[in-house]
Amino acid sequence: MLRQTAGWFDTRLGTSAFVQKALTKVFPDHWSFMIGEIALYSFIVLLLTGTFLTFFFDASTSHSVYRGAYEPLNGVEVSDAYRSVLELSFDVRAGLVMRQIHHWAALVFIGSIVVHLCRVFFTGAFRRPREINWIIGVLLLILAIFNGFSGYSLPDDLLSGTGLRIAYSIALSVPLVGTWMAFLLFGGEFPADEIIGRLFVVHIMIVPALIIGLLTVHLAVVWRQKHTQFREPGRTEGNVVGSRLWPSYAAKSVGLFFAVSAVLCVMGGLAQINPVWLYGPFEPQQVTSPAQPDWYLGWVEGALRLVPAFDVRLFGYEIPNPFFPAVLLPGVTFTLLLAWPFLEQHFAHDKEAHHLLDRPRDHPVRTALGATTLTFYTVMFVAASNDLIAKWLGASIFGITLVFRILILIMPPLVGWGTYRLMKALTASGAGHLSEMPLAALTNGASADGHGSRVHEGKAHTGDGHAGDGPAGNGLGAPAEDAHAPRG
Amino acid sequence: MRHVQGRAGWAVKVLTALGAVALGGCAYTSNLTSPYRSQEPVADGPERGRVLYLRDCAWCHATDGSGTGRGPDLISGTNGAAMTDFMLSTGRMPINDPSEPTRLSPPSYNPAEIEDLVAYVSAFGGEGPPVPVVDSEAGDLALGLELYQENCAACHSTTGVGGALAAGPDPFDETLIAPSLIRSTPVQTAEAMKVGPGTMPVFGSETFSDMEVNSIVRYLSHLQRPDDRGGLPLGHVGPVTEGAIGWLVGVGAALVIVRLIGTRVGEE
Amino acid sequence: MSRGPRTSPPGSGVALAFGLSALSSIGLTVVYAFGGQPQLEGLLLGVALGGLAVGLVRWAQDLMPGGGYVEQRDTEMGGTLQSDAAVRLFERGEEEVQRRSFLGKALGAALGALGLAALFPIRSLGSAPGTSLVVTPWADGIRAVTIDGEPVRPEELAIGGVLTVFPDGHPDAADAQTLLIHLSPGTYRPVTSDREGWAPEDFVAFSKVCTHAGCPVGLYQPADHRLFCPCHQSIFDVLEAAAPIAGPATRPLPQLPLRIDTEGYIAAGGDYSEPIGPGYWSRPRA
Repeated sequence: MLRQTAGWFDTRLGTSAFVQKALTKVFPDHWSFMIGEIALYSFIVLLLTGTFLTFFFDASTSHSVYRGAYEPLNGVEVSDAYRSVLELSFDVRAGLVMRQIHHWAALVFIGSIVVHLCRVFFTGAFRRPREINWIIGVLLLILAIFNGFSGYSLPDDLLSGTGLRIAYSIALSVPLVGTWMAFLLFGGEFPADEIIGRLFVVHIMIVPALIIGLLTVHLAVVWRQKHTQFREPGRTEGNVVGSRLWPSYAAKSVGLFFAVSAVLCVMGGLAQINPVWLYGPFEPQQVTSPAQPDWYLGWVEGALRLVPAFDVRLFGYEIPNPFFPAVLLPGVTFTLLLAWPFLEQHFAHDKEAHHLLDRPRDHPVRTALGATTLTFYTVMFVAASNDLIAKWLGASIFGITLVFRILILIMPPLVGWGTYRLMKALTASGAGHLSEMPLAALTNGASADGHGSRVHEGKAHTGDGHAGDGPAGNGLGAPAEDAHAPRG
Repeated sequence: MRHVQGRAGWAVKVLTALGAVALGGCAYTSNLTSPYRSQEPVADGPERGRVLYLRDCAWCHATDGSGTGRGPDLISGTNGAAMTDFMLSTGRMPINDPSEPTRLSPPSYNPAEIEDLVAYVSAFGGEGPPVPVVDSEAGDLALGLELYQENCAACHSTTGVGGALAAGPDPFDETLIAPSLIRSTPVQTAEAMKVGPGTMPVFGSETFSDMEVNSIVRYLSHLQRPDDRGGLPLGHVGPVTEGAIGWLVGVGAALVIVRLIGTRVGEE
Repeated sequence: MSRGPRTSPPGSGVALAFGLSALSSIGLTVVYAFGGQPQLEGLLLGVALGGLAVGLVRWAQDLMPGGGYVEQRDTEMGGTLQSDAAVRLFERGEEEVQRRSFLGKALGAALGALGLAALFPIRSLGSAPGTSLVVTPWADGIRAVTIDGEPVRPEELAIGGVLTVFPDGHPDAADAQTLLIHLSPGTYRPVTSDREGWAPEDFVAFSKVCTHAGCPVGLYQPADHRLFCPCHQSIFDVLEAAAPIAGPATRPLPQLPLRIDTEGYIAAGGDYSEPIGPGYWSRPRA
């Protein structure tokens, strides 16, 4: 049967050569290479649950009366969008669990993209020839954030409506074209009726299609360029060592899909997320406190709260305050992210191809810069909860804000400097792992610097060599292609 | 070595001093309060309201409720029966030290004592409203939701858990919080609306009819036992705790899983 | 991965996991058939999927040939030889085109025109901003009404009270939402002389739309006469014509002039003192 099917396709498409190559393709087994797969599988869960939700969601701000199991709103006239989400949550069997899995999957999707980005950054996996995939990956992050926000805005509840109101004001703040941009995006002055329907098309068609397209290219490029790998005996710039796709890696990867789905389903069942029935329907004159966006926009929200009160006025024109934290900052952030591989190539004078990964300590400047940047965004992210922190600590909101304003100035350089010292000390100590490093290496790092790196150079692979690194021994790397040695 | 010892000795001195100050502070506070507030119960009787008032309240509010430098009068504005009942039944009064902020806490008196105190204070002639009669069953749930969202949610949150208020612009100001309404009784809710305690605006009988007050109270009692059909409520504060769970549980579990599936460097 | 000594035969754990998964799926069907319950649904779905996950991963780790395979990379990737050939092929074609340079330019012009024409549908997406950001439905004599359309008399709002009002006939005008505040007698301070008559019977009115990012400034603290925006924590001082005193807002909330009309209802004495809401490029200065 299988033989016949394979033959049928092979005689028509000539597939067998590709299938042969695919089935024996080798994937490295290091755990950190699967972080991207978490994102991939969260996305598949998003597609599956999202498809279910589209059958019930009604993307309209026309009004109708909700009649259903949620008592306080039974018989109340609300927008169709809000009514259909209420019905999904209370009156459609399995509707609520699907909604909650979908929302948790969105949070984990973007979270795992960020962790994946960090892994790629700190190991130097973006270096030539992988600049293309770095760019695609950053674009995927932008699209994922955008789709998260558009989905969050659909239920037309009080919290998401407030978010849309801020988004409209941010669009307004863009110099020169802001008013037109806001009016064309929203269909008129806020709150225009068109926005929910438009966001729906964006959320379920345009952005997912773009994500699927870019994701396909992302994976195809990984396939074509093959995975990077860490420096270990038998691994060189010229080979890939790991498991074959069929059956071992496929089983593990499909297993990971089920595992990620399982985590998301348990969360969707046990932990309530976005209870829009408690937030109530959106009315433009109502507001709730505290009001935060989903986590992936927390850094922008925090920046909006931290930036001091100022506007720029030029020749009778105005660049209002929200432009700086909410348009300029994300613009600069993503531009620098996209340009990073080329910036590093320029400043580190390294335009060579690399397939063996750096350990973070091998490139202390990059690692320190990465830690600095992460700290900067983390402080902003936490500052987005300044009102909740004030409430929990019983401190003044402006005291808390002041602390964050100070932290955002001193923490990033401090963490960067500390990271740099730590990486230097780690190299000098020659420890295989951070936990194995003696504490003394950190305190007398300065004296150990030159001494230690000389002693341990060979062991720690600190050199920047990239061709034929390390012996292909241990019975692993027999010169013949695809030689297999059973696991020890 | 000598140097280290010297430093340690210095630290011990500082710690001792700090401890002494802390202990002294406690002693000072208790010294301040004991003459004015005895914890002994007062026997039931026609004089109880007066006795309690003179013992616990008069030092700050004066014997005739006209106020002193330590505390406001109990007559002007919305002061009167409802205000007194609200402050006593929510444990916001009495406070030991006039500089203390008033906080939601367990009441210091039993309901009968509070009733006597309220009767005694109302006799000062405060113009504020009387203790309201609330019948939440007579309210309309949907109307209550609409009015709550329109008038209460901005400060107390749509879920009733409360939120931070404008304490500022001085960063060292004490905090101001719109309290959680989750344990508020129907009468306390109605009282707060009518008298506007602390920094809360007044939502008086001119603005809300009894029916509307009953409706708000009815919706609030629903919020106090909300329909958490989705599972663990995560504090009812929205995306902040959701994001924390998304990272710690969601992304965290996924990372543990890939760590279990994959290998480490040097491990096959 | 390294594992401790095993007592049961390899594969038994895998079978157990798959069995648990199947049982959980059956349980899910039962729960669904009996009307469903979100927590059970999520948990059972999780166990069903988790069982598959554990089974597959254990199978792969314990019973399938693992790592140690070696594959060589393509060394020619990124070489220059083939790309040179491709460029030469392209240039040969380009020469043919450039011989008819006029036609090429005409083609470019036609495509450019089509591209411009294709932009016009974007204009259909929304109305022109026009004056809609500058004016609101408020005008002299228009009564302030509640969201339910009820006009308001001064005696209907206690001192220290606050009410959200709209212009009569426009209860859905989001840009005209206004905070009607009853101040303590005699506390109103007009910041300019033309605002002297704007607070009849100690009533003042300010736009509820924050001048920072447009959230409703819904939190009023009469004790210190402050308005607080919950979104980004701007504070406005009502006695200073709602000037911002903390937070990111830079401009006061526009004030609405008030008067008491002949029938004793609170009405506007005109539109706001300046355009409401967050700033934008061409916002007229007050």
